[in-house]
Amino acid sequence: MGLRWYHFTAWGLFAIGLALLPEIVSKGTLRTFIFANYLVIFAISWDLLSGRTGYISFGHPFLIGIGAYTSAILTKRFGIDVELAIPIAVIVTMIGGLIVLLPALRIRGSYFALVTLAFMELMYQLVQVIRPDLTGGTRGMSGIQTLTRGAVNGFYFSSFLMFVIAISSWFLLRTRIGTALTAIGLNESAVEGSGLSVTKLKMFAFMASAFVAGLGGAFYVHYLGSLAPRALFDINFVFTIIVAVLIGGASTIIGPIIGALFLTFLLEYLRPYLPGAERYFIYGGIALLLYMYQPKGIYALITSGWQMLQEKSVK
Amino acid sequence: MTLALEIKNLVKTFGGLTATDNLNFDIKEGRSVGLIGPNGAGKTTVFSQIMGELQQTSGQISLFGTDLGTLPTSKRIRLGVSRTYQIPRPFLELSVVENIRVGLMPNSIWSMIIKGPDHTKEEKLALEVGLAETDFEKPASELSMGDLRKLELARTIATGAKVLLLDEVFAGLTTGEIAQISSLIQDLRAKGFTLLIVSHDLPALEPLIDHVIAIERGRIIATGNFKDVVNDESVRASYLGQAT
Ligand SMILES: Nc1ncnc2c1ncn2[C@@H]1O[C@H](COP(=O)(O)OP(=O)(O)O)[C@@H](O)[C@H]1O
Ligand SMILES: [Mg+2]
Repeated sequence: MGLRWYHFTAWGLFAIGLALLPEIVSKGTLRTFIFANYLVIFAISWDLLSGRTGYISFGHPFLIGIGAYTSAILTKRFGIDVELAIPIAVIVTMIGGLIVLLPALRIRGSYFALVTLAFMELMYQLVQVIRPDLTGGTRGMSGIQTLTRGAVNGFYFSSFLMFVIAISSWFLLRTRIGTALTAIGLNESAVEGSGLSVTKLKMFAFMASAFVAGLGGAFYVHYLGSLAPRALFDINFVFTIIVAVLIGGASTIIGPIIGALFLTFLLEYLRPYLPGAERYFIYGGIALLLYMYQPKGIYALITSGWQMLQEKSVK
Repeated sequence: MTLALEIKNLVKTFGGLTATDNLNFDIKEGRSVGLIGPNGAGKTTVFSQIMGELQQTSGQISLFGTDLGTLPTSKRIRLGVSRTYQIPRPFLELSVVENIRVGLMPNSIWSMIIKGPDHTKEEKLALEVGLAETDFEKPASELSMGDLRKLELARTIATGAKVLLLDEVFAGLTTGEIAQISSLIQDLRAKGFTLLIVSHDLPALEPLIDHVIAIERGRIIATGNFKDVVNDESVRASYLGQAT
């Protein structure tokens, strides 16, 4: 797997940093970090599928929504314990996503993106039409059981979840499966031509992505305590996820972490100046800058900077 | 002797064009056969049908006695046939050893996750095809055409297939590289691989094969030992007006 001492050091420092953060920053900033943590989870979920295989999903809120709605409905409407509701929600996300999106994996490029986008919109319509007594229709749901109280508690909880997901995904992608998924993104037919079933691999990437999305969605709804369909099934939300991955650097795990943190705080500080749709200018601007100067994102900027420093110190 | 590959009444049409026209031939296990013909004769199309990248219009392809039917490419490779491409298809952003790693992977998600790569095997294959140790960690995008062909050969062999289809193996290579690839192919023959080789470079092809099949417009026009076939009237006529 090519593990080195500095990998452990980096993850260790990251964990320590998270543990110490509540001592350093204000409660308000900590709340922003909680949102950042969930965005990291969604970004990793997106990266597992799209960052690796090149199948760009515009429908991730669809998966996150299945996880969130399932757990919210099970706990609030049926009185099921949250410890049971969340695992069920994750499984339902994987199955639901599989049934609906798998046919879409047969199509490539912009069509895949369009189909996933359509599913997100479809989900928005469905929660309003089908059993609004369960889903809460357009108004959504509130009074959903929360798992943590206060900013510090919520921060530790979401950090732990994010850390476990990040390090497991990172380990997973350092195995041969990571190489195979990257290869799909580079040349799908050559992967098939190496004797590997591309369908099986894409299905795996999809399941891993849905697993993380379902888990993140379910925990997120039990953090917020409410669910608003218009905010969830929103193109703005998809863009936030995708831009977070792209800023940080797709296909790296570290990238989505950096990107989600950066983007959350950027938007937080710019909030007074950006009441609404102006966000799109930020997204567009960032995407353009990245495209022109460093398509591989901040993480690549950091690593190439590091290499330059090392080369200098050698000389 | 068992038949490694058997092609019966193979037909492939593209709209009005018949690219493979009722083709029949077979290759005994361990033999090396040349497939020649002018540009557009239908050589690559035959490869694509054997691999299942193109589905034949009619006819039958069997590998070691098993009808390949409509099996997907990955399954055919597991049954023992693999190919290289006229224009190599590497994973440009992956390193040389990672490219070979993809070829060596078993088609099992579980084993991909729990078992690490076999670095010894990867490097051994890379050296066998003549790649330099200094290139192992280089991304494929930095390789020369000759090295790309070697890399593709390594990935193809890595799949474990014993029947190899080599398309235009010498195209775009220097004389030195041609010699290297030739001796590599001789090694493969010695190891008992079954080979079907397409090449426009007939002098380079001659020492590598047991016999040759010449096709034109998807039909066999001559078959037999190399000298007889290249001196055949219809073969000479088919190549006329075309640089070989
Ligand atoms: N996918 C395709 N669609 C339409 N025509 C094709 C296709 N592939 C090959 N052909 C045609 O089939 C004929 C044989 O092509 P090919 O097998 O590539 O020849 P060769 O490899 O002998 O040069 C050519 O006339 C070519 O234009
Ligand atoms: Mg050809």
